Amino acid sequence: MDGNGQWAAQRSLPRTAGHRAAEAAVIDVIEAAHTAGVEWLSLYAFSTENWRRPAAEVDVLLRLVRRAIRKHALALHTRGIRCRFLGVTDPRIPPALARDIADLMALTRDNRRMTLTVAFDHGGRRDIVEAARSLIRDGVPPEQVTEESFARRLPHPDMPEVDLVIRTSGEQRISNFMLWQVAYAEWVFPPVLWPDFRAEHFWECLEVYRRRDRRFGGVQAPAPTGKGCR
Amino acid sequence: MSMSDAAAAGTDADPLGPGSMLYRLTRQARWGLVATRAIVLEAAHPQIGAALITNSTFVAHPWRRLRNTVLSSQRMVDPDARVRQREAARLNRLHARITGTDAEGRPFNAADSEARAWVVATLFESTVTMCRLSGESVDGPTLDRLYAEFQAFLALMDPYGGKLPPTVRKFWRYYASVVEERLENTEAVHIVLDRLFAQVPAPPLLRDRPAVWAAGRALASPAATAVIVASLPESLRARLGLAELPGTRTLMHAAYLSTRLATRVLPEAWTRLDTVMTVLDPAYAPQRNGGAPAGLPLLDGLPVLDGLRRGAAKAGALLRLLTPDPETAADGDSALRSASRFFSEVLDQTGDGHLDWPDLAAMAREIATRLDLDAQDEDRLFAAFADWWRELQKELDTDGDGRITGHEYAAAAAAMAGSALIRIAEVLFDVTDTDDDQVIDAREYQALFRTAFDHDPGGGDAGERLTRGEFVRRFLGFMAGRRHSGGYDRMFAQA
Repeated sequence: MDGNGQWAAQRSLPRTAGHRAAEAAVIDVIEAAHTAGVEWLSLYAFSTENWRRPAAEVDVLLRLVRRAIRKHALALHTRGIRCRFLGVTDPRIPPALARDIADLMALTRDNRRMTLTVAFDHGGRRDIVEAARSLIRDGVPPEQVTEESFARRLPHPDMPEVDLVIRTSGEQRISNFMLWQVAYAEWVFPPVLWPDFRAEHFWECLEVYRRRDRRFGGVQAPAPTGKGCR
Repeated sequence: MSMSDAAAAGTDADPLGPGSMLYRLTRQARWGLVATRAIVLEAAHPQIGAALITNSTFVAHPWRRLRNTVLSSQRMVDPDARVRQREAARLNRLHARITGTDAEGRPFNAADSEARAWVVATLFESTVTMCRLSGESVDGPTLDRLYAEFQAFLALMDPYGGKLPPTVRKFWRYYASVVEERLENTEAVHIVLDRLFAQVPAPPLLRDRPAVWAAGRALASPAATAVIVASLPESLRARLGLAELPGTRTLMHAAYLSTRLATRVLPEAWTRLDTVMTVLDPAYAPQRNGGAPAGLPLLDGLPVLDGLRRGAAKAGALLRLLTPDPETAADGDSALRSASRFFSEVLDQTGDGHLDWPDLAAMAREIATRLDLDAQDEDRLFAAFADWWRELQKELDTDGDGRITGHEYAAAAAAMAGSALIRIAEVLFDVTDTDDDQVIDAREYQALFRTAFDHDPGGGDAGERLTRGEFVRRFLGFMAGRRHSGGYDRMFAQA
């Protein structure tokens, strides 16, 4: 979800105005994915590095997330969307927000139509380090460590590998996003800024993905499973 | 299941086991009604009333008290006789520590045999009253058998002490004479009737929504009081100065009848006490006790409970997300709390506005109960708390009145880190460090939080290894009011 700051700058508005405008895009994309039958949608909302931004901006962002959760919780639940969060460990997260996040997860935990994973305070490297730590803590012998057993130690191990990552605003970097899970992902970089991103842009990205020939290093193309919005 | 069905189903061999009427009764939601009515009759007994008023935390923390009482009464009828013995011994130790003198200078002792017989008598009489008022017949052999079970209950609690009269007939004479001659218009009765119901804090389910709770309580509390009062013996009601309002008898009959209808008509799992407790307090989970109390039975119908717990958690989550948040303004002060707030939320366990020995004893009791300590560890814990109390008195009781006000505490809390407090932390450390390697590892840490605090510390904390020093430092930080701790807050601060 890139380009909020740029979007605001183009309009001579403060960066926080861009974050406010992003809410509409988030809801639109969730709806679009839901209608398109996507079963796994992940949104990268806030990275572990984003804490370095000015305190006032971080503060507004945290408030916006909280407001959005409370505003849309019921709608998400009634659409059968299971909401999960990836990360959310930093003590700087206000307790009220942490409680709303926990409530949203508890409310929607049995929904199965679509799983929405919000990466918030997320860092792909940190997840990998944590998984390694847990292996060492449990004294797993080196020969028993395989890609599969390692993946089971990552947060939300039931999440399939990412099929498609959409990074808006033309940026072409990974930025520490689900490093393990994106190993074979297809990437699309639409130039549109995130606050302007709408359902039709999402469908265009899906179309691009469908035309790609996914070989996973071999020659066959298995069925797609998950999406990520960066 | 009605009482007579239960009597027919049971066997005579074991008066307190799974075949007993008491076993079934203590698992039904209406046992809560029996226990609540009984507590009014108990409070009118001068000895018990004095002990309640000076030592009990039930007004400030009624839900915690209810939960402890429910667990305890279920252990007293556990299928395993060793569990019952252990619980009886624990209750005896707990009560032996509650002694003092009342406002008129008369000594009281919670382990007093006559008083304990009266507690069991009120429970028996309240059970019979509940059955009769709800239109259930308990006569002849059923009544005899129920009475025999309550006698066995008292014998288990107090093997060498007072006894109930040998037969039911003699019991009613005993009951009437105690009501006439022993019961008084005690302060404790009025605290139960006026304060407990009118001011009962929100159960955990609604803790974050005080307005919703207050609205419901405003309606339910006068009704509950009226129902209880109307079912008390006529002469006692007159002595307590409690007038019978028009319509309360009808209300009382309606209330009791509906409990019976609910028990008969609704699926059995719904009217189980565990189920109701689970809905009120999503953290309440008797079957998750990690084996510590040795043998709380894995409840049949576990999926039902799990389903209910999930349902209650979802309903609570939705309610919190949909209602305006009252605490938005308080976002900032989460890490720090003022000493005076800490005083009222954590230290003042009896809720009387000052700190004295019963407050600290209540904390020690809570720790000992939750961690299910054995006699030796419990003694160490109480000794450490007693030392801390002496230290506090010496350092903080500036006006020498034998108790510490919130003001006195707030003025000196910052300088506090006494050696007695460190001993308390060390006892806690020792009982948690089960393998004696001087480090609390992930497993022990989780066991402490799961069994003692009903709290899953989660992945973030689980990998931690706490040394003795770090554990003590955290405990001191919490007790000095300098930092929050999910686990300790859960144990002491919640209602």
